[in-house]
Amino acid sequence: MTDLIAASAEKAPPATARPRPRRRGPGWRNTLIGWSFILPNLIGFVALTLVPVVAAFALSFASWDGFNPPKWVGLKNFRRLFKDDATMTALRNTVYYACGHVPLTMLAALGLALLLNRKMRGMAFFRAVAFFPYITSMVAVAIVWNMLFNPQYGPVDQFLHWFGVANGPGWTTTTGWAMPAVIVTSVWRDMGYYMILFLAGLQAIPPELYEAAQVDGASAWQRFRAVTLPGLRPTTFLVLILLTVQSFKVFDLIFVMTGGGPGTATLVLSQQIYQTGIVDGEYGYASAISVLLFLLVLVLTLTQFWFNRRRER
Amino acid sequence: MHRRKFLQLAAATAATAPLAAACSANSSSSGSSGGNGPVQLSVSVWSMATTPEFKALFDAFEKANPNITIKPVDILAADYSTKVKVMLSGGDSTDIITMKNTTDYGQFASRGQLHDISSLAATSTAASLQGLSAFKQNGNAYYALPYRQDFWVLFYNKKIFDAAGKPYPTNLTWDQYAQLAESLTSGSGSSKVYGTYHHTWRSVVQAISAAQTGGNLIGGHYEFFTNQYNTALAIQAAGATLDFGTASTQQTSYQSMLETGKAAMLPMGTWLAGTLLADKAAGKTNIDWSIAPMPQVAGASGITTFGSPTAFAVNKRSRNVDAAEKFISFATGPQGAKIVAGIGIVPALLNDDTRKIYFGLTGMPADSGFKKAFAPDKVNLEMPVSPQSSQIDTILTQEHSIVMTKQKSVSAGIAEMDSRVQNEVE
Repeated sequence: MTDLIAASAEKAPPATARPRPRRRGPGWRNTLIGWSFILPNLIGFVALTLVPVVAAFALSFASWDGFNPPKWVGLKNFRRLFKDDATMTALRNTVYYACGHVPLTMLAALGLALLLNRKMRGMAFFRAVAFFPYITSMVAVAIVWNMLFNPQYGPVDQFLHWFGVANGPGWTTTTGWAMPAVIVTSVWRDMGYYMILFLAGLQAIPPELYEAAQVDGASAWQRFRAVTLPGLRPTTFLVLILLTVQSFKVFDLIFVMTGGGPGTATLVLSQQIYQTGIVDGEYGYASAISVLLFLLVLVLTLTQFWFNRRRER
Repeated sequence: MHRRKFLQLAAATAATAPLAAACSANSSSSGSSGGNGPVQLSVSVWSMATTPEFKALFDAFEKANPNITIKPVDILAADYSTKVKVMLSGGDSTDIITMKNTTDYGQFASRGQLHDISSLAATSTAASLQGLSAFKQNGNAYYALPYRQDFWVLFYNKKIFDAAGKPYPTNLTWDQYAQLAESLTSGSGSSKVYGTYHHTWRSVVQAISAAQTGGNLIGGHYEFFTNQYNTALAIQAAGATLDFGTASTQQTSYQSMLETGKAAMLPMGTWLAGTLLADKAAGKTNIDWSIAPMPQVAGASGITTFGSPTAFAVNKRSRNVDAAEKFISFATGPQGAKIVAGIGIVPALLNDDTRKIYFGLTGMPADSGFKKAFAPDKVNLEMPVSPQSSQIDTILTQEHSIVMTKQKSVSAGIAEMDSRVQNEVE
């Protein structure tokens, strides 16, 4: 950008016998080349992401059926949002899901990473096995876990039966246990991915710190608390942010596994946006719910950043 | 040109070329203009491979009109509703939109996304189309014409009845139906045979209840569901049907429940007859089936059931309105009706000619009970047409699953339906 300005400024003086400085040509051209490489992606981003996001903000103040011109309604959609039982339920469910998904996935991923952070033969195989659920088809995961969770014929309840639990929970067929079932499935699915992040973080901790701690007589648990956890803080922070954003945006797994049911037990904000927007054709109202989701995730992320900054001081 | 400059220019062009190509491809796929030249009509359909009526109608129409070719826009049946809504909102110009259900029709018509075809509805043949009244919008405007009218009947597996020594069902009340279902249930585990199978759609309980009690499905007061829910839950509790929870989480197919002999009876729409015929002809099943009327409320004077017409409509943004209207009068007229009947689908134009074709198909049951079941006294619309139908449908579906999985009692569930429909629907 500055090259362009410099280049245009230099064009102003009249052409004298002074030779044109060599620096200007390649600089201007470099900028052009740079832009031509970024441009396709930028056009895609602007056209497919930025413009729709801005449009969604504008639409949240309007009422639009997708066909006729939008009608300005001011804050009506937002007022309706807070009175709408289904949307409020979706909000509660999303928070419930996030509160379950985030800590459990972090614990599972960290545990797996600690276990698999050794130089042992076949370690690559075990890591691949742990990562495998993440790349499996979502629909297959949903259907198979539904079968596992079947209260009459599924292995999960039969397993619990051995331990003396006579009437196992109904899982996805009951309103009380549907969300825990979905959380279990999603933790199983995501832990492999975050395990990779934690593995990278673990391997970045200098081994000398461990040796020093051992020399000082620290036990395994003390080494973990004093060396591993602090050393992992940047990774933990990253995983926390990614997990939080992902949890609030969740849609596909829940949609395929329970469809938001039974009733509205697993209805989350993304599905409610889809339901009101695409199925019921109320794009204005759906945009308002999207704005709510956006603000929610934004506030949470900023809070996490703020906390992290405080800790680092 | 300097080689490096040439390469840079080429790179920039290559990077932006796909974008330009995508934009131009979009505009070139639009249909040609109307007139006497060759016309290409695009028609949105679902799962063409397993819905033979579309191909049959298109082939026959193209033969009769050599200058019109039909380009089907094939969409997976389960996604059809949503896909079409998105298409229309996005300004799609597909000429003919098939109306899979009346709920969607209500939405499209009220938003002005369909072309007015009242002129086609005013003809004498159109007047005798079953289910035509569902498509009337404010005053006398019609935006779609039905080519097919399905209604709900009770399918049953003759072999299971023979094995149990029971007479075939003819005119059952709900209590008789429940008892029959219980007596036909046998076995356990993987060899269990259920007396009946109630699919997870809310219409299985709610639509028949509305039809037989005269209740209003979009009224916001659903007390009239009570008896039907009690009956359905009792059958489920007795183990005579697959429980709702399992059926919904395993996404059980009603078709395979009947065809593989896992259920002796199955309340379902008449479209299943066409599927059974095709599957039997292809050797996928050897079920010996027939149809009885839907069970009735005790003391009812006649057969009342519910049904839903399927229709063709013209997209407001279509560029070939004349050709589209021509296709619709063909498909909904006597020629189209004969073709549809010949596939084993019930045409909207159900007269003696089409009935003869339908009953005469190879593989169609020939018993008298079957023919009688095909003449119900009253066919109620599955869901009334209104702009709020879609929202109400969502709420009722959610609450239906709560009641059927026994998360709430019937009265509590109905109270929740009442309050949600009254408060949430805009």
